[in-house]
Amino acid sequence: MRGMDIELKDVSIRFGDFTAVYPTNLKVNAGEFFSILGPSGCGKTTILRMVSGFSNPTSGEILIGGQSMAGIGPDKRPTALIFQSLALFPLMTVRENVAFGLEMRGMARGPRNDKAQELLDLVALGDQGEKIPDELSGGQRQRVAIARALAVEPAVLLLDEPLSALDLKLRQHMRSELRDIQRKTGVTFIYITHDQGEALTMSDRIAVMKAGVIEQVGTTDQVYNEPSTAFAATFVGANNMFKGKITKTSKGEAEIETKYGLLRGTNPQNLSTGSEAILFVRPEKTLVLSGKEKAENTIDVTYERRDLEGAFVNLHFQREDNKFTVHQTNVDLKSFDKGDQCTIGFDARAAMILPDGELADE
Amino acid sequence: MSNVSSSSFGRGSQIILNVYLVIFFAYMFLPLILMVAAGFNEFDTPSVTTWKGFTWKWFGVLAQDDRMWSGLVNSILIAVGVIIVSMPLGLAGAFLITRLQSRYNGLLYGIMVSPLLTPGIILGISTLIFWREGGVSGGLFTAAVAQATYISSYTMLMFMARLKRQDVTLEEAALDLGASHTQVFRRITMPFLKPTILTAAVIAFLQSFENYNTTIFAIGGSHTLVTEIGSRMRFGLSPAVNVIGIIFVFLTITFATIYVIFREREKKRVSALMG
Repeated sequence: MRGMDIELKDVSIRFGDFTAVYPTNLKVNAGEFFSILGPSGCGKTTILRMVSGFSNPTSGEILIGGQSMAGIGPDKRPTALIFQSLALFPLMTVRENVAFGLEMRGMARGPRNDKAQELLDLVALGDQGEKIPDELSGGQRQRVAIARALAVEPAVLLLDEPLSALDLKLRQHMRSELRDIQRKTGVTFIYITHDQGEALTMSDRIAVMKAGVIEQVGTTDQVYNEPSTAFAATFVGANNMFKGKITKTSKGEAEIETKYGLLRGTNPQNLSTGSEAILFVRPEKTLVLSGKEKAENTIDVTYERRDLEGAFVNLHFQREDNKFTVHQTNVDLKSFDKGDQCTIGFDARAAMILPDGELADE
Repeated sequence: MSNVSSSSFGRGSQIILNVYLVIFFAYMFLPLILMVAAGFNEFDTPSVTTWKGFTWKWFGVLAQDDRMWSGLVNSILIAVGVIIVSMPLGLAGAFLITRLQSRYNGLLYGIMVSPLLTPGIILGISTLIFWREGGVSGGLFTAAVAQATYISSYTMLMFMARLKRQDVTLEEAALDLGASHTQVFRRITMPFLKPTILTAAVIAFLQSFENYNTTIFAIGGSHTLVTEIGSRMRFGLSPAVNVIGIIFVFLTITFATIYVIFREREKKRVSALMG
């Protein structure tokens, strides 16, 4: 295990009048795959640039392996950054790219080429060393960037949306490959993304970020199943939402008065009676009720259409301006016609009532 | 191809286009052709209307002309000096403007390209006066310095165009991998700038070589090929000057042909590599 832990203590950064990151405390454990998830412009790349040493925090302190990084430049930090554009050196061969960091450390040609070969083998590019980056495919270039960063044996690897330029199939493949490399090397990964799927599949823990503020830090399960804010709930995963006012609370649950009647859900933050709130229920926990099935909460809706995704299907319903989705696996599906009157429902345990707040854009 | 053009332009516009091309080429090349022809005329004033018969003798006259030869040597010396001064100056200026994200960038840019907008005479005179105050009288040195003031702006613009196209993250990536700023410059930035260094040097050389109005004021008692030709205008032209023209036309055609052949080969090599 050669990864190091990273700690942000009251770190903030301002550019002129604009605060990109508000004072933030964050601890990333050694050897962890940690993702920072948020929409573009939320400050996640800025955090990465501060950790790698390209930007200096306006206030606060960054510690890597317990050591303060104040005044230490990017070339002296135990970090390696994988840029969104990859930034492979176009005039050098793949091998020269991978060996570049070692060359800069004064390693002789023989040993550094051996080391580069070892890393190219690790990323399954052992026979591509003599090509130039332009001759490789997107996925191969991706792997060269990873090999080049790992060559300098960083304790922390920082990745800035490195998969965003790849097509879907390759992206999914690279997810498991990145995860593998992280486990094999034990390096701490900080992964920046706006793609919740990427964050959920690869990470040990996730930070959800919005407008320069980290809204929630937790394991992938915690972030998906127990979001702490309306933003975190809507940014990670889909929801059916009901806005209203809490009328009654009891034993971890609450009742909320909505346009479509009283609905019950869990009350993880112990909101008090009278507070403005939103009830969230995931589409996979929402059911289409036929005669004999029952649920604690029910809403009458009209069937609109379905999206068949292969293994599963999303059924879309509507009531007035509000849209609802039910997610079903593609086993024994019932079919509906547009305009059919249906009832959807869910149990109180499946729903969360959270304080009213800003939602993530669709 | 011809089908497309004849259908998209009418027959009338096709004729106009052809007439235009004839006029254009005549305008471009007729004077050159007359100049070349007059260089082979026995008559001792450049002319083609008074034809006294074909001769090579003006080549001989030119070869005997010591002031022309010393002028050529001076021109080359000055051009080399200009390259030595204007390349690093232009590169430094280009770095300053493309990399230093300061709000004074606009002002800085304005100052650095202003020599291009200043009349050449003024650059020449001001350089002469400045150096004379310091005890250096007009000569090859002041001519080179005066030319470099505006040729540096040219090289700077060329380096800027190249640097603007460079992905800054390449330099950041190198830094991140442990390279010092010097190593980044040597291993990443310089290889990227290489083609521009060559073209900027060629442009600087040509600009310097052909310069008249700055040089004539800064050079004092000395002379270059161009100022020498200029000063002889006052006493009437000799076909020997035409011969200089003939030599340059010949050199230009030769180098242009070599360049085109070289580039075609490079293109083929690159496409073979990519294919």
